[in-house]
Amino acid sequence: MSQTVLSFNHYSLRARETRLGKKLGKKPVLFFLFVITFLGLAGGIYLLIAHSALCWLCFAVAIITFMFIIWTKCELITVPVGKTDSLDDTLSNDVLAALPANPTPLDIATVIEKTNSGRFLYVRYGISSKLLQNIARDLPNSVSPIFEAAIKIKQGTDSKEIHGAVLAVSIIACHPNNEIILRQMKLEMVDLLDGIVWFNYLNGLVKSVKQRRHSGGIARDLSFGYIPTLQRFGVNISSLREGAMKTQIQLAAHKEILAKMTQIFTSGSRQNVALIGPDGSGRSTIVTAFAEQLLDADSGLPASLRFRQIFKLDAAALISSATERGEIEGLVMHVLGEAYNAKNIIIWLENAELFFEDGVGSVDITNVLLPILEAGKLRIILTMDRQKFLEISARKAPLANALNKIMVTPANQQETMKVLQDQVPILEYQHHVSYTIWALKEAYRLSERYVHDLEMPGRALALLDAAGAYAENMLVTAASVGRAVEKTEGVKVQLAEDDSDKSKLLNLEELIHKRMIDQELAVKTVSDALRRAAAGVRNENRPIGTFLFLGPTGVGKTELAKALSEVYFNGENQIIRLDLNEFVEASDVSRLIADAASDELSLTAQVMKQPFSVVLLDEIEKAHPQVLTTLLQLLDEGILRDAKNKEVSFRDTIVIATSNAGADKIREYVKNRVELSSVKDEFMNWLLSTNVFKPEFLNRFDEICLFKPLSPDDCLKVVDLIIAGTNKTLAPQKIAVTLDDSAKQYLVEKGYDPQLGARPMKRIVQQTVENLVAKRVLTGEASSGANINITREMIERELS
Amino acid sequence: MFAVDLIEWWYLRGWRVVSTGLKHKLSDSLDFFSIGQLFRTLFAPYRQISANTSDEGNRLNAFFDRLISRLVGTVTRLFIIIFGGLAIILEAILGVLFIVIWPVIPFLPVVCIVLTITGVHL
Repeated sequence: MSQTVLSFNHYSLRARETRLGKKLGKKPVLFFLFVITFLGLAGGIYLLIAHSALCWLCFAVAIITFMFIIWTKCELITVPVGKTDSLDDTLSNDVLAALPANPTPLDIATVIEKTNSGRFLYVRYGISSKLLQNIARDLPNSVSPIFEAAIKIKQGTDSKEIHGAVLAVSIIACHPNNEIILRQMKLEMVDLLDGIVWFNYLNGLVKSVKQRRHSGGIARDLSFGYIPTLQRFGVNISSLREGAMKTQIQLAAHKEILAKMTQIFTSGSRQNVALIGPDGSGRSTIVTAFAEQLLDADSGLPASLRFRQIFKLDAAALISSATERGEIEGLVMHVLGEAYNAKNIIIWLENAELFFEDGVGSVDITNVLLPILEAGKLRIILTMDRQKFLEISARKAPLANALNKIMVTPANQQETMKVLQDQVPILEYQHHVSYTIWALKEAYRLSERYVHDLEMPGRALALLDAAGAYAENMLVTAASVGRAVEKTEGVKVQLAEDDSDKSKLLNLEELIHKRMIDQELAVKTVSDALRRAAAGVRNENRPIGTFLFLGPTGVGKTELAKALSEVYFNGENQIIRLDLNEFVEASDVSRLIADAASDELSLTAQVMKQPFSVVLLDEIEKAHPQVLTTLLQLLDEGILRDAKNKEVSFRDTIVIATSNAGADKIREYVKNRVELSSVKDEFMNWLLSTNVFKPEFLNRFDEICLFKPLSPDDCLKVVDLIIAGTNKTLAPQKIAVTLDDSAKQYLVEKGYDPQLGARPMKRIVQQTVENLVAKRVLTGEASSGANINITREMIERELS
Repeated sequence: MFAVDLIEWWYLRGWRVVSTGLKHKLSDSLDFFSIGQLFRTLFAPYRQISANTSDEGNRLNAFFDRLISRLVGTVTRLFIIIFGGLAIILEAILGVLFIVIWPVIPFLPVVCIVLTITGVHL
């Protein structure tokens, strides 16, 4: 870097002008100058009439102040950047006006706080002036490295000037520990550079709004016909956009679509364009941008398109005003005839499917529209959902053939972020809030998972819009977006956020054992996997955890799933349970992935409604192979597509499949006192040899947990758990139940079944303990505050 | 210092800024009065008013309708062109006049002070 580049001349003409502009550009000062000019002029005229020579003095004052006003308004308020690369030519006005003669890094940090771009970085990226000043204090006293970095950043970000944001990033970049500082703020240098580009873009947008647009003037529409009926049944999109902020087309694909639309409408082919794509992909934005382009005299469009106006036909208004089918067809013909005769109208059929099928709020007028589309004389834009288009074109091939189809594809992450950055000022204006960069990122991340009705960028934008209502201190953060999802979609998006959640995860085994006995190996395996997931050490594109529980019946497989639901998702009801012995036919796949509208109990519908859940797939070995194949995608990618091809995320679920396969083998191991953990591989090989499960299926699970049969000692503890449950139920009546050791022993003797595990024991307890309590309560022997002690004899009597 | 800076700007960038400003203003006015558009469509029918052309009798009606419509359109457009043209010419004259006297303006206060001192009055 040459020395001349870094020389900062505090007394250069530009620096002097910016400082003066800062003073004269203030509204009261300008007003004062106006008043002096007016008084000088008025006084001068008066004295001139009064034949006084002092009139010239008044005129002199008026002329001098007038010159200052012109200078201030034309130059000083926005002194343009200079032509050289010197600092005083490239520093922005606000920075240049505030910098002292020999600035230190701390002076620069203090100045940044007063600039718009500095405040932009502060609000969006949380870089406070205090933090910046602290960083500046750590730097050597020379400002050369900062300016050197600023010039590089200016070039790298294609900035026109070195403004506050560029200097802020330079100061951070000059700090030897900048990576650590940024990491603490969950940022990277590239984020800040993006922030500068974002600021430059918005700044350019604000400047472009101030520029006058040429849109044809007062006599623009004299050559075009009257359209009274169309005005009644349509909305003039073009006039709505006149004077509004220009719609920015951020996506290269959308720019191509705009060019394609121009090409179609200026060619001799059929004058229609069908924009086909999912909701939220930006079809309406494209039409709006096209409407603006048509009215822009400087857009360079051919004369045959210039000043044409887009009218959106209101299907609801048409249907409601016509009582009979013939009437609506006549009305549509009349409206379209009017549009054709006017010669400057492009009809827009938004949600065009409403005009091609009968239903609530829709009417099939294909017989009217098809000849018009085929003739191709009247310019028509149709926007349609991709799925609906496929359905309609399957039924009405001539209609599909008559359309010039353009596919609108959803935006990717980078494109969506650009659209969000572009739309943020509008949302901020509407909600009177400021959005941080983390809010934008979170809106993308969460909407991708939990907003199902729209596609990108619309879905992220919708969520960002909703988050505006959950701002804290007028700031929309990632937490605000999370809250918006929780409130609008009914899902909990952040689990291990507070200390209590973290402590829960750390003590998962202990918490699980509060409601289930033994199975240490399985509990530990599952707990470890979930801790890894909560700490972020997991693949985000898979479920939180996928487990296959193998073991005899009644040993706690389902109980562990319930315990996980309670501990991890804060509620035992956060469990979606499917008995796969009901999915034994290939055709049952359709029930598994049925659309929520047709079957709300399908797996996809339930998960869509409740994405933070334990998905319990019971008796998985009984499911049809095609059902298992369908589940492979779920285990692999954490998504399933429902019958309507809508993506349903399982990435916040814990998927647990249970099976009794190999139960006898496990019993045999336990009988021979073999440690299950030591023979797991051997067991798995044996299981594969039985062909119950295919290797590719077993490999999809994070962990396969073997459950051993319960021992009589374990069963004693199970009795305690069951009694604890009974006491919990009786707690509102202030009645407690206790059992003698002999009574417990007797219950285990009677209830324990090596084949069925602890399950029969539950029934025995219900038959005995609960019956005994019920009788005592009803006879009045046990009232509020009573403690019922149950002995072996009492149970024997009850069972006899 | 300010005075020197002001004079420097006045004769270097200022003159150019004011000239560019006038150019933009005239361009805006041309757009506002749609002058180019009016010339291009001078003989086009006014508001596309014409009768239905489905049968022989109406076709004749339509011909005359369109003829009258064109006449009305031409007269209306000519009126706007003349009115708008005059406004633009006036704006241009004033603008050019301002640009012409621009270099003289800084001398005016000096002249006025001299006139005050010498006691000249009308």
